[in-house]
Amino acid sequence: MFPKLDPLLHSELRLAVMSILAGVDEADFTYLKKQTGATSGNLSVQIDKLTAVGYITVEKGFKGKMPRTTCKITPTGQDAFNQYVEALKEYISASK
Amino acid sequence: MEQNKEMTAQQSLQIISETFNNSRKEILRGSAKYFMLWGTLLTVVSLVIYLLWHLTGKPEWNFLWFAMPVIGYPIAALMGKYSKAMPQNEVSKMLGNVWGVFGVFAITLSIIAIFLVPMRVSLIIVIIMGLAECMSGVLLKNWPIIIGGFLLGVGGAVFAMLVKGEAQLLIFTLGGVLLLVTGLIMKLQYK
Repeated sequence: MFPKLDPLLHSELRLAVMSILAGVDEADFTYLKKQTGATSGNLSVQIDKLTAVGYITVEKGFKGKMPRTTCKITPTGQDAFNQYVEALKEYISASK
Repeated sequence: MEQNKEMTAQQSLQIISETFNNSRKEILRGSAKYFMLWGTLLTVVSLVIYLLWHLTGKPEWNFLWFAMPVIGYPIAALMGKYSKAMPQNEVSKMLGNVWGVFGVFAITLSIIAIFLVPMRVSLIIVIIMGLAECMSGVLLKNWPIIIGGFLLGVGGAVFAMLVKGEAQLLIFTLGGVLLLVTGLIMKLQYK
């Protein structure tokens, strides 16, 4: 019996965002946008979804006079991401 | 990137691996500019002090070393402020820590050597600088940087013991060039 893949992470853009955040302390919106190649609107929607389930936190502030939105993965998000990767490995090893 | 495209397990793992690696490369490429800044500064300052000492015969020109942090830290802060917001990962944080600790040791030992206990400060600094460079190479998993740091530390120690006067400063010129090359290697390695 395979573990169920977390539907919140099993989406291209949300998975990319979580993969970036899993490797850094925090990242700002413009960095995530550049790395994923997503549009601002689409990225905002996906960030809201990840925030709603407590996988990431979002902090709005300023860098100089420019507004800055910073995203950070939470311990819950890190656990969910690790479980997702483990589940993927099981799927792949079973398919070989 | 689409938000709800159907993905296979392989595609998911590929996205994770590609995104993670691209982000890692971008961060380390961003760290390269600090190596290039301090390398350029070290090369220029050591050469200027060498020339002034050589031309006037006065070792007091060594006080110009304190110009390095005075010039370097504000420029580094400005570079951070005006460049695109770059996150920190474990490697970039460790690199910053290694060179931060080196800076604290170098400045403290220089002050002690000048005002309290005379010591062969060039010898000590070149050894810890080689060590910091070597550690950077280990963190970046880059053999040329590891070997360069080792040669700078060990070769520089021998050079500092054999050579007297202003000629000792030339080892720091070489150290500056090595930092500059490290920055260039990082730019190329993480292209």
